[in-house]
Amino acid sequence: MQAAGLVNPNTSWLNSRGAWLFYILIITVGHLILLSFPFLSVAAVWTLTNTIHNIVTFTVLHTLKGTPWMTADQGKSRLQTHWEQIDCGTQFTSTRKFFTAVPVAVFILASFYTKYDTVHFFVNSLSLLFVLLPKLPQFHGVRLFGINKY
Amino acid sequence: MRTGVWYLQEIILQLRSAPAYLLLLEAVLLVWLIKVLFFTKSYKPHRTKLTQKEKEDLVEEWTPEPLVPDTPADHPGLHPRSFEGKLGKIIRINGQDCINLASLNFLDMNGNEEIEAGAIKTLKKYGVGACGPRGFYGTIDIHLELEDKLSAFLGLEEVAQYSYGFSVLSTAIPAYAKSGDVIFCDEGACFAIQQGLRASRSKVWFFKHNDADDLERMMKLQDDIDQKNPQKALTLRRFLVVEGLYMNYGDICPLPKLIELKKRYKVRMFLDESLSFGVLGANGKGVTEYFGVPITDVDWIGASLENCMATTGGFCGGRAFVMNHQRLGGLGYAFSAALPSMLASSTITSLEQMQRSPDMFVTLARNATYMQQKLESIPGMTLKGLPISPIKHLSLEGSMETRKQEVCLLEEVVQEAESRGVAIVLARYLDDMEYILPKPSIRVAVSSGFSVEELSRAADVVATACATVLARHRGVEAN
Repeated sequence: MQAAGLVNPNTSWLNSRGAWLFYILIITVGHLILLSFPFLSVAAVWTLTNTIHNIVTFTVLHTLKGTPWMTADQGKSRLQTHWEQIDCGTQFTSTRKFFTAVPVAVFILASFYTKYDTVHFFVNSLSLLFVLLPKLPQFHGVRLFGINKY
Repeated sequence: MRTGVWYLQEIILQLRSAPAYLLLLEAVLLVWLIKVLFFTKSYKPHRTKLTQKEKEDLVEEWTPEPLVPDTPADHPGLHPRSFEGKLGKIIRINGQDCINLASLNFLDMNGNEEIEAGAIKTLKKYGVGACGPRGFYGTIDIHLELEDKLSAFLGLEEVAQYSYGFSVLSTAIPAYAKSGDVIFCDEGACFAIQQGLRASRSKVWFFKHNDADDLERMMKLQDDIDQKNPQKALTLRRFLVVEGLYMNYGDICPLPKLIELKKRYKVRMFLDESLSFGVLGANGKGVTEYFGVPITDVDWIGASLENCMATTGGFCGGRAFVMNHQRLGGLGYAFSAALPSMLASSTITSLEQMQRSPDMFVTLARNATYMQQKLESIPGMTLKGLPISPIKHLSLEGSMETRKQEVCLLEEVVQEAESRGVAIVLARYLDDMEYILPKPSIRVAVSSGFSVEELSRAADVVATACATVLARHRGVEAN
């Protein structure tokens, strides 16, 4: 599949119209679905939402590398995760700020609704750490212990 | 609304009841987030630039890899042997005339005057090259004449002529066998066949050399697999690839048994007659004539004509619809330049000579049998090959510690024989690419042009050379 026009659409598709809204909507709908399970308490649902959101965003933004299509950049983006490809590596753009803010917001809501129970807090903050650290500019292109290098 | 205020009160109460350190952590997080959101500017991280001094340091540090890597001094590539003149019965190596037992020149047609005269006449008429592949303006009437003559000689419906003997096998097999097909092949098949099998990407069953029972066992196993999956079996093509006379062993395939198996299990048979065409059979028609089997029983016959006729190239023959596929699908046919016209005419002249005087095959068989007797009796060496085969493999009786040692010893035998006027050669293989690497051996090639006296003299020289080298090594071991 040749992506016509842009060199790498991955750099800009999250800036496009409705992408942010869609992101929020997905989290909301997922949360509502989880709330519909009668055997889950409110605290469990919020922790689940937070954790599942973090796992999914970690996988999609920070684990998967390259693009599903051929790019015209001679393979430069093959070794980069989606996060690193956003806006071609420019740090602190509005998309990046937004996607950094959302996990924090979800975390704060989750820790509120779990009534700051220690175990829940621990789980939520651990998953938040996993999601926030790769977004720092110091971690751009960094692969710890050679994991996911190639 | 009162409910809204109540909720707010609840929120504040909850926050109050939370552990303080957790609230602190959250506050820190929020502060950090606000900083990121509002107090950072977007920037593109710049790549570290090297200073001029750093660049110069890096350039000075760099040492290039040598163009020619370290090679051992005894590498055969560093000591090529060169000869002068034609590759006929006698060749001139380093100024000394030697009896040529190294070149594959079974019918002694190299240097034949009639062939040369015909070739020169053709050269004057057509020029040198064909200037194109067969399908792209490279076909000359001589090629068509040669194909007709070959098909008439062998009794095949159609013949396709190639310009390079190796590619007859290596490109024709993948033209018919594709990924997903099944090929049964003899273990001892020559390198050209092995390359063809690799290129075909099919599943290959290697059966023990010349062991028809092992082949039957494997065909039965494949049959069982087919029974389990009849849908797939319908689309599967099965082939059997064997050589008439094996290059690495000097023995003949059990053709009647193979044909019987082929018919029973419905397998297409590919026969490589590179060494048996012009050698076996009363008229030199190959292994089918030798066994008295009708040639139409074999689906595809291919041969390199470089061994018995004074030419390069080869041919393959069979039914017309089989050959037509190859004219488009055989890579060696469609994408290689066609045979130069003078070589095509040499082939035609050689074929005419073969038809005129079939006693050359009798002479060849006699010479081969005689050579077998003489070489068998060399102490300390074993001879592999049938008496009638013009290719014989002379190897060490036991085996030495490493293959390299054995190769070196045989090389010494070759040097000794050369110094006494007989040119023999080691059988060379691509060691890491052969399916089964045969034992190191000296490959002796007999020609029908030799008289019994010449052969006797040559065999004596080989025996003396072996004795000298073995004695030298035994002396070294004893000390």
